[in-house]
Amino acid sequence: MKHFTKLTMAATLLLGTAGFATAEGHSVTLETGQEVNMVLLPKFLGILVFDQANEGAQEAHAELENPGELLFIGPTPENSTAGQIEIMTTAATQGQGAVMISNNAGDQIVPSALAAQEAGTRVVTWDSPIPSGEGEDVFIAQVDFGSIGVIMADMAFSILGGEGQMAVLSATPDASNQNAWIAAMQVALEDEKYANIELVDVVYGDDQAEVSYNRALALVDQYPDLGVIMSPTTVGIQAAAKAMQDEGLCEQVKVSGLGLPSEMLSYTLNGCAPEFALWDFRDLGYLTYFTAYGLASGQLTGDIGETFSAGRMGDYTIEEDPGRPGTKRILMGPFTVYTAENVEAAAN
Amino acid sequence: MLARISPQTLRILALLAVVLAVLLFFSTQVPNYLNGRLFNRISSSVAIMALIACGQTLVILTRNIDLSIGSIVGFVAFATGSLITNNPELGPVLLVSYSIILGACFGVVNGLLVAFLRIPSIIVTLATMALFRSSLVEYSDAKSITTGNLPEWLISFPNYKVLTFGTLQLRAGFLVAVLVVIAVHIALTHLRPARKLYAVGSNPEAAEMAGINTKLVVLSAFACAGALAGLAGFMFLARFGTITVVAGLGIELKSVAASVVGGVNIFGGSGTVIGALLGAILVDLIDMSLVRWALVSEFWREAVLGTLILLSVAADAILMRRLIALRVAREKTTKENAP
Repeated sequence: MKHFTKLTMAATLLLGTAGFATAEGHSVTLETGQEVNMVLLPKFLGILVFDQANEGAQEAHAELENPGELLFIGPTPENSTAGQIEIMTTAATQGQGAVMISNNAGDQIVPSALAAQEAGTRVVTWDSPIPSGEGEDVFIAQVDFGSIGVIMADMAFSILGGEGQMAVLSATPDASNQNAWIAAMQVALEDEKYANIELVDVVYGDDQAEVSYNRALALVDQYPDLGVIMSPTTVGIQAAAKAMQDEGLCEQVKVSGLGLPSEMLSYTLNGCAPEFALWDFRDLGYLTYFTAYGLASGQLTGDIGETFSAGRMGDYTIEEDPGRPGTKRILMGPFTVYTAENVEAAAN
Repeated sequence: MLARISPQTLRILALLAVVLAVLLFFSTQVPNYLNGRLFNRISSSVAIMALIACGQTLVILTRNIDLSIGSIVGFVAFATGSLITNNPELGPVLLVSYSIILGACFGVVNGLLVAFLRIPSIIVTLATMALFRSSLVEYSDAKSITTGNLPEWLISFPNYKVLTFGTLQLRAGFLVAVLVVIAVHIALTHLRPARKLYAVGSNPEAAEMAGINTKLVVLSAFACAGALAGLAGFMFLARFGTITVVAGLGIELKSVAASVVGGVNIFGGSGTVIGALLGAILVDLIDMSLVRWALVSEFWREAVLGTLILLSVAADAILMRRLIALRVAREKTTKENAP
């Protein structure tokens, strides 16, 4: 029943987007073979989901027969913020057609992004936007940020049986996507349905396994009645699940949040993390590439209401981002909730 | 009585006093604090840092520093995980040896550059820190090591309970780390080749005149630090199971902090690995307690941690000076009273 509600919600979201498209009348089909050089810039290198996004972008690159170059470059992990700013600046001076960035630098990226736009480089964000929206052409939202909040609240609700304590284990304190999702969850929790769920704490594991592991244990020690740890990051969720398993706490404290099926398989099957959600990062890379290609080749203007066809994924429309007034987004959606029933199939 | 205790022992006693003070302070601030669980948390977590701080100490003793040690831990953890994932039938002995040898190889690279090219170690290891980390990014091919692919014996080893007193558990991981630190301590205090680390650190020219091959000593210090970092990498893999390219990020500075807090002189020549172990415990204790201290927000935690480290080093230094002054005064009175 619960999954049915989620599916309906996802369908409503899709219908919403589709409805907008028909209202506008026509959908732009991008011409192939335009030469634009583009850069795909992840938060940092070496994380599986970003590599999957790159696979999706490469697929779109081949499909659109772009004779230009698609570079997948990113900073090393210890240098994420400064490295992103540097790569953005370099891309502008090189006259790249577009930079597709999963922003990990908060608003610190703004000056370099503005400079890039002035130099004629389009700035498309994906996965994690620029919080203020300054220097950003459009944000490709994987799912509606508000609906992530609802999904997380729902997973907590079902794991806790409607009543109990929940704590959040996030990534870095200044990751704009995670912060937006947590805020959305707090809004969702105000609903009467969740009146008996108490959010006791939000802690940060810096997207590092060892930090997240220790933070998860600290949460359990601090709140003896804790029922679920909600971790909206693929690194945090599995570190927390491992910590609960190592300490034999899985009966007491469940783990949930956003995770990769292949990494969460064993924890879902043994009950440490009975439910979690995620979207497809390959699709996200694919859609991001289509958008950036359209903007950089001048086929899309990037105005609100503009609809275009993103290959195998269908039509998408640029709309105002409800979470960040005055900025623009394209909503990908939906996402999948994984449980013991479907996780094995997705993991392989 | 004080007169009979060596300055190094005094320092360790002072550190223990600081650890106790920190424990007492936080027990008044944090609910559900002082219990067996706290010991289990700190001991399991410090098992890894103890080995790294021990390696760092060996290098610092020779007037050098190893900033690449975190990258070595991360690389070894990943490479070992990758080896066992592809060859699940490999036994513990082979796997541990692989980790240690791989770590030592990285250490030798550092050692050769520092000892024979005479480049300052802070520059060399700053460069190799980035180099080793970038090679990990390249080597990992954006994959990560996941717990599911690791054999059961490896994952359960660090949490194997050797002894249990109520909720307090002595776990295998911590025991191994403590045994290694004690072994290194005995070597440093009793073995002639290991004593050379102190000789080179306190006065390189004099050491050379005394016929010590200082280059070789520095090289071996880095190699040993690498080997210990390799072992720590193995423990890291066993404990966390999931290894990405960020594994061990920032460990290098924590290991320097642990050594210095533990009374190892940053200018070389003096300090003990037992002190470094206690330093690691203190830093970890402060870090873990701060996370649970409601008064300090996430953004201020690092700053407070830094301040507390400074305070504990200062307290330790003042306590030491007092104790030594006391001892000198006593020695004087004993001498004056002597016929």
